[in-house]
Amino acid sequence: MKKKLLSTLLVGAMAASLVACGQPNTDQANTNTADGAATADGSSVRLLNGKPEIDSQLQDLAKLYNEETGNTLVVETIGGDTNAADELKKMYQADNMPDIFVIEANQADTWDGMLADLSGSAWTDKTEFELENDSMGTIGFPYTVEATALGYNADVLEAAGIDPSTLTSPAAYKEAFETLDSKKDELGIKAVLGWCAEPANLGWSSGTHVFGQYLDAGLKADDTTYIDLLNDGGQIDKDRMKDFAEFIGMMNQYSDPELLVDGTYDAQVAGFTAGDYAFITQGNWCVTSPDDVDFECGFAPYAFEDGIDTIIAGPPSYWVAYNDGNVDGAKEFFEWCAGDSAQNILVNDAGLVSPFDDCQYEAVNPFYKSMKSYIDAGKFSGWHTMLKKDGLQNVTCQVFADYAQGKLDADSFVSTIESVIKDYYAN
Amino acid sequence: MGEFSATRKVSSFGCMIAGIVLMLVGLYLAISKTDALGIRGMLLIIGCVVFFVGLYFFPTLKHHRGIINFMFLFPLLFAFAVTVIIPLILGIGYSFTDWDGIRIRNVVGLENYIRMFKQPQFIWSILVTFLFVVFNIILVNLVAFMLALLCTSKLKGLGFFRAAYFLPNLIGGIVLGYIWQFIFSNVVTKFTTALFDSRYSMLSETRTAFIGIIIVYIWQYAGYIMLIYITGLNTVPGDVIEASSIDGATPIQTLFQIKIPMIAPTITICTFLTLTSAFKQFDVNLALTNGTGSVSSFLGTYLTKGTQMLALNIYDTAVINNEYAFGEAKAVLFFIILAFVSIVQVRMSNKKEVEL
Repeated sequence: MKKKLLSTLLVGAMAASLVACGQPNTDQANTNTADGAATADGSSVRLLNGKPEIDSQLQDLAKLYNEETGNTLVVETIGGDTNAADELKKMYQADNMPDIFVIEANQADTWDGMLADLSGSAWTDKTEFELENDSMGTIGFPYTVEATALGYNADVLEAAGIDPSTLTSPAAYKEAFETLDSKKDELGIKAVLGWCAEPANLGWSSGTHVFGQYLDAGLKADDTTYIDLLNDGGQIDKDRMKDFAEFIGMMNQYSDPELLVDGTYDAQVAGFTAGDYAFITQGNWCVTSPDDVDFECGFAPYAFEDGIDTIIAGPPSYWVAYNDGNVDGAKEFFEWCAGDSAQNILVNDAGLVSPFDDCQYEAVNPFYKSMKSYIDAGKFSGWHTMLKKDGLQNVTCQVFADYAQGKLDADSFVSTIESVIKDYYAN
Repeated sequence: MGEFSATRKVSSFGCMIAGIVLMLVGLYLAISKTDALGIRGMLLIIGCVVFFVGLYFFPTLKHHRGIINFMFLFPLLFAFAVTVIIPLILGIGYSFTDWDGIRIRNVVGLENYIRMFKQPQFIWSILVTFLFVVFNIILVNLVAFMLALLCTSKLKGLGFFRAAYFLPNLIGGIVLGYIWQFIFSNVVTKFTTALFDSRYSMLSETRTAFIGIIIVYIWQYAGYIMLIYITGLNTVPGDVIEASSIDGATPIQTLFQIKIPMIAPTITICTFLTLTSAFKQFDVNLALTNGTGSVSSFLGTYLTKGTQMLALNIYDTAVINNEYAFGEAKAVLFFIILAFVSIVQVRMSNKKEVEL
């Protein structure tokens, strides 16, 4: 009898544990609802944020949204190294899609037919940075603008007698680099340039951003000549690539040798903010607060051909609305988000650069002034590097690393990168 | 041992049928996505429990014990099926499609399997993985066995040494990779610059980076294998060792003629463990080199992922390159290779044990 009782108890425990495991779980991600709870009549939208560094500011944004409109915004943040695109696929398979999520431009095709058309929204008239797609219409809400070019320390350039506005040709750069190199001790810098071609951790920098200069530098924002060529079976313009290779060769020559091959992102940025380098090969994200630097920052174009005078600027990623989610709620949020109170938080608290023309707030980012001057003058190119085939940066970054190590020269860099890209597109 | 009552028969069959119906309704709601009340999970669980109650009272004496055994095994079998068997079957299915992690647009047949053998990088990854496995089976076991001999001798502070050698195994591979990346890039480079006039870190060259991965892997895994060898060596009877020493056996003779033959089953286990874990190497590979390193010519191609092993190649294909189905196809091949090699290795080792 005792045995039977024990078996019944064990079976009961097993069944209970199964029941416990079977409870429906609607909130699977790390969900942080804003303190202002959902109101009964307001709509509620879930937003998947891919920038963990602005999570707390987005929580404030959600709180303000609730206070001002009565609607609820639930912000879920994908943290650290987790890939948002990968996480979204898991959410999709688990039937747990957020109403708004983050994508990069080349991921639009993956979601073909699943994203809401936002055209006609009032905010689209206030920006030129929305993401448009041939089959789905206006799909992406730009929440920030980022720029990448050769960041410089204006104080060092001034002390060396170099006017950054003249840096629009390879010859001008050569002269400037030579001048800076000869005055290193006098200027108190360690090297002319903080450029790092380390491929394992910084492949995204060389393979996506620096390579992006080959694709876009000097072109108008909507000019897709070289990205179209690239996406047509992996072709490159050899003449342009040769000029680009020679410029990169010059960068290799004048970069800090300790950083060039084995460096890290942290070391690169730390060197620049400490005033060790006159130039850095990153974007406005590398120095976000005026407290980080005690000098003026600016951007100069990658002028590997005569007359190149543009920097790459635009949204690196967008917020999109999921078709089967709360589209009206998402549209309502986007409209509010383009407005004054939301932009106040995004610009002044989160340190983002607003993509909207009527935004009255100036970003605190030390590169902002320079960025704005290029954007206002129309001297900016697109982020078409985001439209290359997925993963291409992971193979091209190695070619940059080999070039930096001296295994390749400018000519073999061109032929190698050509064959590597072609193979990647063919396979 | 009489007949079962009609009530019991009816209630047993009734419960089983009701359970099946509830489960089917739950499944229907889940698949058709028409579950507005959110009760599908509850229906499935209740259906399952009711079915098992019916099964428990099934009117049989002959099979009652079997039914009880099945009922107790079921949760484990179910979990195993859900987490291993079903994903395996689904994965094989996906490998014949162009699934991108979201949806399947086309069924492509064997295209993914043919395509992978046209990728020099993938073939290189297979070769590098085999090379890594060979080096590791030999070196990890050698180092671990020597450490085990050291830790079973009469040295002072053995507990400390055992713990110290085992400690790296407790650190995750990713953390370990980043720690060693710092060591190779900053500390080792200082020595190599002084000794060989090599300006850059050993991680920037394919060959030396590969050696780097092997070193880290041995450092991580030898302590764990050492523990198994220590257990094996402790099972060698003291009287046999004593008898051999009385017969005049030297320590070397004792080692090769007595200890090693007597721990043959331990060697089997250790080689099997090192083989399978080395094959599946991923985290250290990812954190230390991320597969980087160039190979100037392999099958007429310039390779940019010289230290990329199979598991990392599969991960990159699926997640980074966004080709989930292609990654699945590679993973299926990986599974077949691993299963084949493991079976052959175990068979060979078992045969060897008998001979020893």
